[in-house]
Amino acid sequence: MRNIFIIWRKELKDALRDKRTLMAMIVMPMVLMPLIIIGMFKLIDYQMQQAEKQVVKVAVENKKNDSDLVEFISSQENLEIVNISLDLEAAVKEKAVDLAIIVPEDIEDRIKKQEVIKIEVIEHSLNDRSDIALGKVNQAVTAYNKQVLESRFKDQGISGNILSGVVIEKRDVATKEEIGGFGLGFLLPLLIVMWANVGGQYIAIDVSAGEKERKTLESLLLTPVKRLEIVFGKFLAVSTSALTSVVISLVSIYIAINQFGFKIEENIDKSVQNTASGAGGFAMDFSIEPAALLVIFAVSILLVLVFSAILLSISIFAKSYKEAQNYLGPSYMIIILPVVIVNSIPNFKPPLALFAVPAVNTILLFKEILVGAYDWGHIAITVGSLAISALLAIWTATKIYSNEKVLFRV
Amino acid sequence: MLMNNRESLIQVNNLSKKFNGFVAVDSISFETKAGEIFGLLGPNGAGKTTTLRITSSILQPTSGSVEVCGCDVVKDSQKVRENIGILTTEIGVYDRFTGRENLAYFGELYGLGREQLDDRIEVLSKLLDMQEFLDRKAGTYSTGMKQKLAIARSIIHDPQVVILDEPTTGLDVLASLTVVDFMRMEKKAGKSVILSTHRMSDAEKLCDRVAIMHKGKLIDLDTVKGLLRKTKTVDLEEAFLKMINNK
Ligand SMILES: Nc1ncnc2c1ncn2[C@@H]1O[C@H](COP(=O)(O)OP(=O)(O)OP(=O)(O)O)[C@@H](O)[C@H]1O
Ligand SMILES: [Mg+2]
Repeated sequence: MRNIFIIWRKELKDALRDKRTLMAMIVMPMVLMPLIIIGMFKLIDYQMQQAEKQVVKVAVENKKNDSDLVEFISSQENLEIVNISLDLEAAVKEKAVDLAIIVPEDIEDRIKKQEVIKIEVIEHSLNDRSDIALGKVNQAVTAYNKQVLESRFKDQGISGNILSGVVIEKRDVATKEEIGGFGLGFLLPLLIVMWANVGGQYIAIDVSAGEKERKTLESLLLTPVKRLEIVFGKFLAVSTSALTSVVISLVSIYIAINQFGFKIEENIDKSVQNTASGAGGFAMDFSIEPAALLVIFAVSILLVLVFSAILLSISIFAKSYKEAQNYLGPSYMIIILPVVIVNSIPNFKPPLALFAVPAVNTILLFKEILVGAYDWGHIAITVGSLAISALLAIWTATKIYSNEKVLFRV
Repeated sequence: MLMNNRESLIQVNNLSKKFNGFVAVDSISFETKAGEIFGLLGPNGAGKTTTLRITSSILQPTSGSVEVCGCDVVKDSQKVRENIGILTTEIGVYDRFTGRENLAYFGELYGLGREQLDDRIEVLSKLLDMQEFLDRKAGTYSTGMKQKLAIARSIIHDPQVVILDEPTTGLDVLASLTVVDFMRMEKKAGKSVILSTHRMSDAEKLCDRVAIMHKGKLIDLDTVKGLLRKTKTVDLEEAFLKMINNK
């Protein structure tokens, strides 16, 4: 036990003096993740605002007749009616205007005579702004249409309400906690899985392949310390580093959300109305139940142990820093992939067997727990599978440290 | 000589080592005693380092056996490692640690207590003339400083058997002399010292007995005087060349 502690302490001390390890273990999880996530949300927010702010130009033929319809269109926000001397189609094609409308000259007459009015619209479907302009014109036309119809009905002595046959009123039964949990169910596993890997990678390589490359391994193996103790000390150092990264990344994300947070819109209806102009909104509550937190924390620790053991085994096998990096580099993808896949399947009902697959089971379990569904069977299988995997990986690492062929591989 | 009455600390019996079929060590036998410096000489690739690695339990023998202080290197490797201190050619030190921290780490792993360790570090740093740079980060050391640190590290636990594989490579005349003096002291203290080197002058000065290895085989084992007599030469270098060329 004493030897394990000595080795653990030495490896951590060594790691803390190494800029690379320090970066991966502490600085990156502290700064990078919140930056990426806040940056992402800010960018989306910014784009939405930009889209709203954009003034689209619409050319109208026969503007001179000054009909109510043109008035309606020009009263749309961020829409400008422009005069154009060119051929309309050419103007749209050359993007001098975003949209062109041809209003029949006799529109007022036709309204009076209660005839069908046809408006021609010229758009450029490859121009985003053209789409936006079309949406705005559509809204104006719908509103105008309603007015015209109402007045027609009124002329016949019928109430305008007749036009509102069916209306939709929306209510979301998902609570804010559930929506928040769903968001976390995406974010948390990604963070934990990612930092359990990244936070342990550098130190894992440094204490094994690094030691081999710097030629200090042989003198370590010459001490009377048992191989299992050496591996355990190193393994615990890797786990400590990985766990530190996970905790730091979670704490910094939490602070980031609280401090700079996403604008959490209280009123869902409002955001639904806003979607017409392109603005979305979240209504999330990121609070987690204590019980869920406990399970998540316990499972995270187990996951960190599994990853650390696997990282260590692989980098012990490698003969140099570079070789280890080549092995571990792509391991990201293998680990992140299941998260992305599981997250992208809507209403995914995982078969029980998936809870026996390390990493994947963690993602699935977190998703369940974060929306308040506790399945003790799933929890037991996950915990058991992670524990067995960790032990297996440590045992493998010890075997490798006892194999002279690998140790003196050239 | 009275050597035969002394305690035998290393016994190598018919030791062979193969690397994927290549015979690096070919059934060699010898023993070393307490209070003697035993030389292991041979050209590059003769199998010296391999023999010493097996003796220190880092490599497994393919056949034959080695005993250190009465313990088998395979069955009782932990005991062997407690009693042996070996400096291999593969020196590396923890660059981000100071010399003192390097020594302390290994001292702790050898089970030394705090006070014992501090004393031992004091003694070794004086003996190998390391005080000046002991508290600097080892990454800033010169080759010679690293070599001294590596020597100190290998004997931090004051072992009964001291194996030095080319200890003076990279050392200047002064530093080499320090190491030579150190070996004499260990001999006087009743340790068994094995020296593997390419510097014939060192071997001639220091070694009580010398084993000559060539292509994995032990071609002769005798006192320096005995070897000179057999080959009718006046110094060890000549004797060595003659024996190697005759093979
Ligand atoms: N891990 C290994 N795998 C394969 N072959 C090896 C290994 N270690 C040593 N050898 C081979 O065994 C032979 C003996 O090597 P060894 O290092 O024991 O020689 P040496 O006498 O110490 O030589 P030098 O004076 O150059 O240090 C060499 O041919 C070497 O290539
Ligand atoms: Mg050698």
